[in-house]
Amino acid sequence: MEFVVLFVTAAIVNNFVLHYFVGICPYVGVSKEVGAAASMGLAVIFVMTLAGIAGWLINNLVLMPLGLGILEYVSYVVVIASLVQLVELFLKKAIPALYRTLGIFLPLITSNCAILFLVLMLALEEYGFLESVFFSLGAGVGFTIAIVLMAGIREQLEQADIPRAFRGAAVTMAIAGIMALAFSGFAGLV
Amino acid sequence: MTMVLSSVIFLGGLGVLFSLMLVAAQRKFAVDTDPRVAQIEEALPGTNCGACGYPSCALYAEAVAGGDDLEKCVVGGQDTLRALASIMGVEVSDAQREPKVAVVFCQGGSDVSWFPGVYRGIEDCAAAEAGQDVAKRCQYGCIGLASCVRACKFDAIHMAPNGIPYVDASKCTACGACVRACPRDLIELHPVSHEHFVYCKSQDPGPIAKKVCEVACTACKICVKAAQKDDNPSAVTMQGNLAVVTPEPYTAKGEYGDRCPTDAYATDRNMVNRDRVLSTIRELQGTGVGS
Repeated sequence: MEFVVLFVTAAIVNNFVLHYFVGICPYVGVSKEVGAAASMGLAVIFVMTLAGIAGWLINNLVLMPLGLGILEYVSYVVVIASLVQLVELFLKKAIPALYRTLGIFLPLITSNCAILFLVLMLALEEYGFLESVFFSLGAGVGFTIAIVLMAGIREQLEQADIPRAFRGAAVTMAIAGIMALAFSGFAGLV
Repeated sequence: MTMVLSSVIFLGGLGVLFSLMLVAAQRKFAVDTDPRVAQIEEALPGTNCGACGYPSCALYAEAVAGGDDLEKCVVGGQDTLRALASIMGVEVSDAQREPKVAVVFCQGGSDVSWFPGVYRGIEDCAAAEAGQDVAKRCQYGCIGLASCVRACKFDAIHMAPNGIPYVDASKCTACGACVRACPRDLIELHPVSHEHFVYCKSQDPGPIAKKVCEVACTACKICVKAAQKDDNPSAVTMQGNLAVVTPEPYTAKGEYGDRCPTDAYATDRNMVNRDRVLSTIRELQGTGVGS
């Protein structure tokens, strides 16, 4: 039960994109089609979960016992960058079409603040191993939910008659704000 | 000291571990790439300007290897085109070899078009268009705030005295900067030898088009019918309320704009006021005004 609560917290109540406002860059950049957005979400789930696990192991088995807390950021960045490279290599081989769709945003997961934020948060909250796994998974799922919802709305907007000065980035920002407001309604859930 | 040592060992070990992992992954997921892609990328200018429609030279190189058109790189020009053609093992056709030039699809200067208002905003076409704040009545024609002139790095486009840009074909490199600068998409790149065009983009129905501009295409279809009569119906077609000359080298069949009532269908030779425009531009080029 505790794990479920943690999962829901990370995925919905404290949604990374809409509550903490991290990972905005792919959230706006890859949310033009639902398909591409969902794949981006899957890639982020994968990287987040692995980064969460690897980050927890490094933090609790190496950094803490050796008193090397200052190396936290550096080692997390190394871990995240390597994992993203791994995903990239895999996608390039397995699904080249998707690799092209995601384009520059795939390597940019490296610098996606949501992932570094997640790993740092795991250390900060001192979660146990299983808690970390569920929290990481929840964070990834939350990101996917946010970006897929956004893509759905933007696909509908393609047909909408938006006032000229409001088109493009302006309306996207407004939608992101309204979605964040809506998600704040989950605040009392857990 | 132990802290420094353990830091170095830990980070070094981490780096080695992950690089080994990546090397293994690279082996496992190796992708066979077309060797021509690297050659093509080498032959491209490498400026990543995006004028070809792809975000980077590398992506355009992939597209070319996959069969895309060779002449999309405007920065590299003819040299790049020849290099790409030799890599891909194809001949360069005459149409591809011919240099292009920017063509302005509006003749509605202040002398012939209706300007009911006065614009006092930012001196920029995109700003005027975004604010729906254009002095000219024609909602398809040139706004006349010279954004294309400022975009040109080659001093090849100037505002004529009637407020319409005029392209100096001898200086134009067909880089496409003015094409992207125009918020109303009035500038297109066409081969130098193509001179017959309907110099208008108005989709207004005939009576309105005629009311707001003396040289608008009024969709009277005289040119279209002339082309049909000449057994060459694809030369001029109607796109909505606008006659469009097909940008193919059809000129052998002659032109069909002789009887155009508004001179919207013109050749570069009989473009409205061309002589006056040219002489004024030559004067301006001497003084540095108007650029």
